[in-house]
Amino acid sequence: MEPILKLRNLKVVFPTNYGVIRAVESVDLDIGDRECVALVGESGCGKSVTSQSVMRLIESPPALTQVDAIEFNGRDIKDYTPKQMQELRGKEMSMIFQDAMTSLNPVMTVGNQIDEMYMRHQGDSKKEAREKTVKALELIGLPEPRTRANSFPHQLSGGMRQRVLLAMAFACMPKLIIADEPTTALDVTIQAQVLKTLRGMQRGCGTSLLLVTHDLSVVASIADTVYVMYSGKIVEKAPVKDLFNSPQHPYTVGLMAAVPRLTDKKKTFTQIPGTVPHPARKPSGCYFHPRCEYATDKCRKEMPPLMGQGGGREVRCYYPLTAGGNM
Amino acid sequence: MKYTYVIKRILYSLFVFAVVITLNFFIPRIGVDDPAERYYPPQGNMSEIEYEIIKQVTRQQYGFHVSTGQQYMNYLKGLFQGDLGTSFRPGSPAVIDLILERLPWTLVLSVSTMLIGVTIGILFGVLAAVKRGRWQDTMLLNASTIMVALPAFFIALILSFYLGFELEIFPAYTDSTMVSGFTWTWEGIRRVAQNAALPVLSMVVGSIISYAQGTRNAVIAVTNEDFVLTARAKGLKQSTIRYKHILRNSMLPIVTSLGMSISGLIGGQVVIEQVFNWNGMGTLFLEANNSNDYPLMMGIMLLLSGFTIFAILVTDLVYVLLDPRVTVGDKR
Repeated sequence: MEPILKLRNLKVVFPTNYGVIRAVESVDLDIGDRECVALVGESGCGKSVTSQSVMRLIESPPALTQVDAIEFNGRDIKDYTPKQMQELRGKEMSMIFQDAMTSLNPVMTVGNQIDEMYMRHQGDSKKEAREKTVKALELIGLPEPRTRANSFPHQLSGGMRQRVLLAMAFACMPKLIIADEPTTALDVTIQAQVLKTLRGMQRGCGTSLLLVTHDLSVVASIADTVYVMYSGKIVEKAPVKDLFNSPQHPYTVGLMAAVPRLTDKKKTFTQIPGTVPHPARKPSGCYFHPRCEYATDKCRKEMPPLMGQGGGREVRCYYPLTAGGNM
Repeated sequence: MKYTYVIKRILYSLFVFAVVITLNFFIPRIGVDDPAERYYPPQGNMSEIEYEIIKQVTRQQYGFHVSTGQQYMNYLKGLFQGDLGTSFRPGSPAVIDLILERLPWTLVLSVSTMLIGVTIGILFGVLAAVKRGRWQDTMLLNASTIMVALPAFFIALILSFYLGFELEIFPAYTDSTMVSGFTWTWEGIRRVAQNAALPVLSMVVGSIISYAQGTRNAVIAVTNEDFVLTARAKGLKQSTIRYKHILRNSMLPIVTSLGMSISGLIGGQVVIEQVFNWNGMGTLFLEANNSNDYPLMMGIMLLLSGFTIFAILVTDLVYVLLDPRVTVGDKR
């Protein structure tokens, strides 16, 4: 499978008054054609910064970005000029954001905001663009698309707004869509509908998808490959089934244990002890060692490399867990 | 939905105005049983009987001889006919005539200050926001820090002294023949412009900077909004993002402050007008205050509050056009 996106050695740093924040440290990412890759992690682990870096949306200043390669569809776009990037964004890669309320311009009708995509990237007139917009909204499952197109964002429900964002992202049939927490702001039933639409659209359009989320249930239902991020680094990469069947990194294990289940007998939530390290004061050695029950002296001193485990799996741990237990 | 909102706002404004009229009428009458006593305090070596006669005449002349309720009705009746009452000045001129005589001269100063302030201020503000953190932005920040510490009348004194007395570029204070000898000729207009230069200049600096600062902050706040990131992710051109997405949203808070300053247009600048001997509304109010001319003060107050209510109403209605979210409360 020829990858649509090959991200190599991405580093993003934010210099601040209280120290340098290394948001993303040497992240490699591969997304295959028509593949859905999930990037999982807690808030502040660098997953949004990573995804926005792929579209080169992180502004510098304030950020300092270094990357060996952003190979997209066979071209390295890391040295593209701002103009070239503008041509690419929206047309070949586009993005779906978390909060559709704030991600849509409040004083423009949603139709106008989707029209912009066609007018910018396909050179359509206002009228042609609106026809396509209505079709796109219909395809995405919005009732009465022609009237809805004249609505302002605040006049639509949360689910409808998210669908508008979907229609916008898919407007020009891009090669890659990055969805940054696309369902987090929605309630659970709407979440399922939107996810279903997203997956349907992705398969139907032959688009690759980078899904950024902290919600493991979303990952399980839609992803092919999963990257787990912790404190700016990839700690585990695995095909989705393998990851859920036998997580190898203690952090991944902790994440899965933290998902509450209906069959649970106990009355408290399971959680990973401790908190995420402050991004400006990361611990020595493996960033996870202060919270890890298996940590040894080696973990405290040296950062483990990402080690291949066969079967497309990689894990950043000296003592990866196997199905039967530790070591 | 929109019309309900508009009608609601208009009715609400009318209600506020009615309250203002009533308060404006009753407040000067609080405390003293006989308004004539308040308006004409005993003077010098006036005998009891003389004073009594004067009060009687005053009551008759100004309509205080009837009950307060009846006076209120008469006052309202007068208002509907555009009669704001009669001044205590010699010759008993109508309040509305006194005001109309001064209003144009105040408008000359306030309108030109506002037009210049808004245009240049917004341009500077956008520039500072676009060049955020660079010298243009720093300059604006420093200028506003200095302006906060420098009141307009201080600038007025400095300008009057240096540009007026020392360099004699502009008249240091208005000569009285500007108003009396005014004609609609180029010469007349040129003289007004010359005389207005220093008062406008001393007010416009602060005006420019406050609009610039407001615009800058609004633009930067909007630039950090999520939908601007969406617009960038859509691959829109920088200019499209700036004008279609950022500027329109930044105009909302600016319209509010614009509306607020429109209400200040007719009030006049008491201090600035004094410094430059400019015969506007500010000076008129000061004169009325100093001579206990209550009908005149009431007239000015009523006009000011009425205009303020009107300006706020207009601002609210303009907001409906700019921001589709405003009507949301009336949607049901």
